[in-house]
Amino acid sequence: MPEHRPMSPASPWVEIVVTDDDWDAADPDLLRTIYAQLVWVRTFEQYVLDLAGAGLIHGPAHSSIGQEAGAVGSVLALTSEDSVNGSHRGHHQFLAKALHHVERKGLDPLAAPSDDVREVLVRTLAEICGLDRGWSHGRGGSMHLQWKEAGAMGTNAIVGGGVPQAAGFAWSHRQAGTDAVSVTYFGDGATNIGSTLESMNLASAWGLPVCFFIENNHYAVSTSVDEATGEPRLAARGLGFSIAAWSVDGMDPLAVHLAMTEAVEYMRRGGGPTVVEADTYRFFHQNGGFAGSAFGYREKAEERAWRERDPLTQTAAQLQRLGILTTQECELAISNATGVMDEIGAALLEADPAGKPGQRRIKPAEWPDPAWVDFGVRGDLAELDDAPMVVDESAVAVEETTFIDAVAAVMGRRMDTDPGIVVMGEDVHRLNGGTNGATRGLPARFPGRVLGTPISENAFVGLAGGIALDGRFTPVVEFMYADFMWVAADQLFNQIGKARHMYGGSNGVPLVLRSKVAMGTGYGSQHSMDPAGVLATSAGWRIVAPSTPYDYVGLMNTALRCQDPVVVLEHVDLYTSSGLGPVDDWDYCLPVGRAAVRRAGSDLTVLTYLAMTRYVLEAAEGHQVDAEVVDLRWLDRASIDWATIEASLTKTNQVLIAEQGAVGTSYGGWLADEIQRRYFDLLDAPVWRVTGGVASPSISKVLERAAIAQTSEVVAALDEIARY
Amino acid sequence: MARVLRMPGISADATEAVLSEWLVEDSGDFGPADPIATVETEKAAVDVEADAAGRVLKTLVLPGAQVLVGDPIAILGEPGEEVADLDALLTSLGVAAVTDAIIPERRDVPSDPGSGAPLAERPDLGGRAGPLADPEQSSPVNGRVFSSPLARRLAKDAGLAIDGVKGTGPRGRILRRDVDKALAGRQSPRTPTSDEQAPKRPSTPVAASRGYRDIPHSRIRLATARRLTESKQQAPHFYLRATVRAEALLALRAEVNGDPSTHISVNDLVVKAVGAAHRREPEMNVIWTPDAIRQYDAVDIAVAVATDRGLMTPVVRDVGSLSVTALSVAIGAVAQRARDGKLKQDDLEGGTIAVTNLGMYGVEEFAAIINPPMAAILAVGAVRDEPVVENGAVVAGKVMTVTLSVDHRPVDGVLAARWLAVLAELLEHPVRLLA
Repeated sequence: MPEHRPMSPASPWVEIVVTDDDWDAADPDLLRTIYAQLVWVRTFEQYVLDLAGAGLIHGPAHSSIGQEAGAVGSVLALTSEDSVNGSHRGHHQFLAKALHHVERKGLDPLAAPSDDVREVLVRTLAEICGLDRGWSHGRGGSMHLQWKEAGAMGTNAIVGGGVPQAAGFAWSHRQAGTDAVSVTYFGDGATNIGSTLESMNLASAWGLPVCFFIENNHYAVSTSVDEATGEPRLAARGLGFSIAAWSVDGMDPLAVHLAMTEAVEYMRRGGGPTVVEADTYRFFHQNGGFAGSAFGYREKAEERAWRERDPLTQTAAQLQRLGILTTQECELAISNATGVMDEIGAALLEADPAGKPGQRRIKPAEWPDPAWVDFGVRGDLAELDDAPMVVDESAVAVEETTFIDAVAAVMGRRMDTDPGIVVMGEDVHRLNGGTNGATRGLPARFPGRVLGTPISENAFVGLAGGIALDGRFTPVVEFMYADFMWVAADQLFNQIGKARHMYGGSNGVPLVLRSKVAMGTGYGSQHSMDPAGVLATSAGWRIVAPSTPYDYVGLMNTALRCQDPVVVLEHVDLYTSSGLGPVDDWDYCLPVGRAAVRRAGSDLTVLTYLAMTRYVLEAAEGHQVDAEVVDLRWLDRASIDWATIEASLTKTNQVLIAEQGAVGTSYGGWLADEIQRRYFDLLDAPVWRVTGGVASPSISKVLERAAIAQTSEVVAALDEIARY
Repeated sequence: MARVLRMPGISADATEAVLSEWLVEDSGDFGPADPIATVETEKAAVDVEADAAGRVLKTLVLPGAQVLVGDPIAILGEPGEEVADLDALLTSLGVAAVTDAIIPERRDVPSDPGSGAPLAERPDLGGRAGPLADPEQSSPVNGRVFSSPLARRLAKDAGLAIDGVKGTGPRGRILRRDVDKALAGRQSPRTPTSDEQAPKRPSTPVAASRGYRDIPHSRIRLATARRLTESKQQAPHFYLRATVRAEALLALRAEVNGDPSTHISVNDLVVKAVGAAHRREPEMNVIWTPDAIRQYDAVDIAVAVATDRGLMTPVVRDVGSLSVTALSVAIGAVAQRARDGKLKQDDLEGGTIAVTNLGMYGVEEFAAIINPPMAAILAVGAVRDEPVVENGAVVAGKVMTVTLSVDHRPVDGVLAARWLAVLAELLEHPVRLLA
């Protein structure tokens, strides 16, 4: 019988239990503010449900009625410098933060609302209705509420999707030398998703001041927390990552406030991340104004028991007990707020001339202009106006350079000149510059700015996304293999790619993703993809594909200035290659949307990029088909160089798109589609294509070679073209 | 026993046909003479009939596919027959490999039969659309002339009809170089001015609505246009006209039609007379081929039938051996099939002369274009009252004018004149037709 030594988690976990004594000891102004916030949130939410019932809200209205105490109690422990983000059920979180921002000294439940408060209410209601006056001009709606000025960084419709970003806000706060903290609100459902757990681990590893605030309302839609996990005491999630945890009655705003005050203080003094679990209940179903019992997944008795602990009535009772407000005053506060909501609604709504008596509609002038639908998918590049842009490409002195040295050199130069740049990725801080030497020399020169991450792409990409949304720093993320994009897909595509547009189109998302393409290295089916085709489907990203050291430097400089997320594709074949690179100018930028004609020709335009450029040039050399080889450099829909393509096609009248990777995820499909429509009358032949095979490249060397398009595949295509 | 159903040859000059519809689906049974599929050419839509009862085990081409005559289109079996391993069966019948090649409709995603991999995207094919046909194997599909977008624009800008350009690209597609060549040929006889050399682009696109509308060509309209153009360009026509007395013809018709079960027309008698004239002058029963004048044994005559779908020329067989009433029934039957769009392959093959009649519209006389590859066409006008000279006196008579268009390549003027004299003699003495 071996000895059994008891073990225990390294971090504390406490439950905060509040009694009347605590209410007695509380600052009466705080209690009045708590009550006022509860009233505003409740009456606002009731008004939203009324509109939803009248069909005036497009999409779901996830009501927070019942859960107000968690948001109000916690937000009042924060300042405007602290940031929050939230979940799909986030009206209460957003309102509490925004109201606290405009009324920092507190709110009086009996006072008429200030203009600022009215503004918060009307813009929030307008956003939920999808109207131009909303925070994001109606693009975000109920589930994407953002007011960065107030530290409300955006609620999120993907469960757990906002959590990694909150770690990024926390990193930025700390990196900026402040004691501000970040709070991410999410529900019991999100405690079981990878992005949340990965973020807890990353935040703990890096000691980030982020609070994982769990609103445990016991149901993920209709699935109960007991069904969904073996540990329904959700604060215990923190213990696995050595994160200090607090459990608290989420129906009691003072209890939440006291717990949160402790957690915030813990974070401000550098204790690292925290978990606060508020035990709470949504009075209605997932969305809309009907109780969950109506859908059969919970009992009316259970709902009654929770309603008896309604945070508004509990708080009102305490205020009356303490003689702060009378019963009538408590009721008056609610009826006043209800009246204000009616006035606010009247600003947005009018009688429907085609409807029944009493039926309302959105005032037509309130809708956003449909012509605005795609505005702000990416930025206008005004940030490049003062960039040292190279137009005459012979202006930069060049010499033979090894590609990988240019990679490390330009990043070193930028980190020198811009203290906001931070590099992160797996092993970038070790191995003398990461797995390929791309960050060689940087960790020693820039302590704390070259961050080796745990192997959790969704978390560290999301964290970088949070840094980008915050805007004070520019994250550069390295993917050791492009295929890891799938692992981080939510953050790359749902979050980072959409953030600018979804939140209104005006806030940048400056992030650079260095994605290594490793086909040909024997790493097999899951490490050998070319991500360009998939990335090109995402509206918000820009994509650059440098094929020479010179291009790499100029394009990386542009990417680092750009306020859009930019993926810089790096092919490992190119790392060890050499070509012309700058002699001493590491600051020049290459313009967005400018391709390079690598070889002039008259018979055929070949559009290619990255490592394939070299193979195409080899194939074209001496071939009877006189190919004009265009190295695209910029691959995304917004940045591609149509002028160069058109000029070349006008000359050659046929086009071949050549790339290396598998056909399924290939890049050229959308381009071929666009070309045949734009240039139909210029074409004397269908758009030709060279791609890799159907399957991902295999480990076996011969199979791998057969799966990847290189020189001989291009030659075969040229031979075919020559037949005609 | 599984067997291969192949694309039948619908008309003599067609090397391809469109499988327009499967009337029996996969695993569907059919009885003897049941129609299995509808096959369409430029000229006709034809039902492919079963020769015996059986089952369609597997159709090999999709509806709408253009298929070479003789290529497999389905695997047939015994009624109720089940096949466990279809792939093995296809392989044993040797048709698996051609499955994709004969379905042009699928050419955007032809797949490798082994892996299902899309061939179209394979690098060894350059990602082009499907397996490559030889440039020589050019065959317009559905009467459409393939040309590249650029070639069409250049031709249009230069006012050149694209149909007249010979294509040298894949599948006979007309490319820029073909248009360039055609333009160079057009301009070479004289020295063009510099203005003319630069193709003028229309300053504004032609407005879509300017008091006309474009009715897209039907397949039959295109075929008619192509064949008649070809005829006028390649077959040197000459014309002979004769006016005959028609009293005897009308009298004979009235007498025959005195039997209420019988109804013959003047045209039936004309066709009969043409058949008889061909027997008397067998050198007229010919067609021109590149190497020889082909002379036929039987006399097959085409009759022009106007239908809703366009002009059709079904053929009546062995006119010489048919009685007038039998001929009348045969003509009525093919004309009806033509109007119903149900012409058979047989109905369209052969014939050395066609008869076309606009007499019912009061047309006195007209000249027709020969329907290739026939050698002649007889255009028949209306029977009309005319003053005629009889024994030195002008009397009222009934006359009819016929105009013979002749291909001068196989038939000389004297022969045609002799033939026309025989015909006139027969028409004026029609009782001889009954002999």
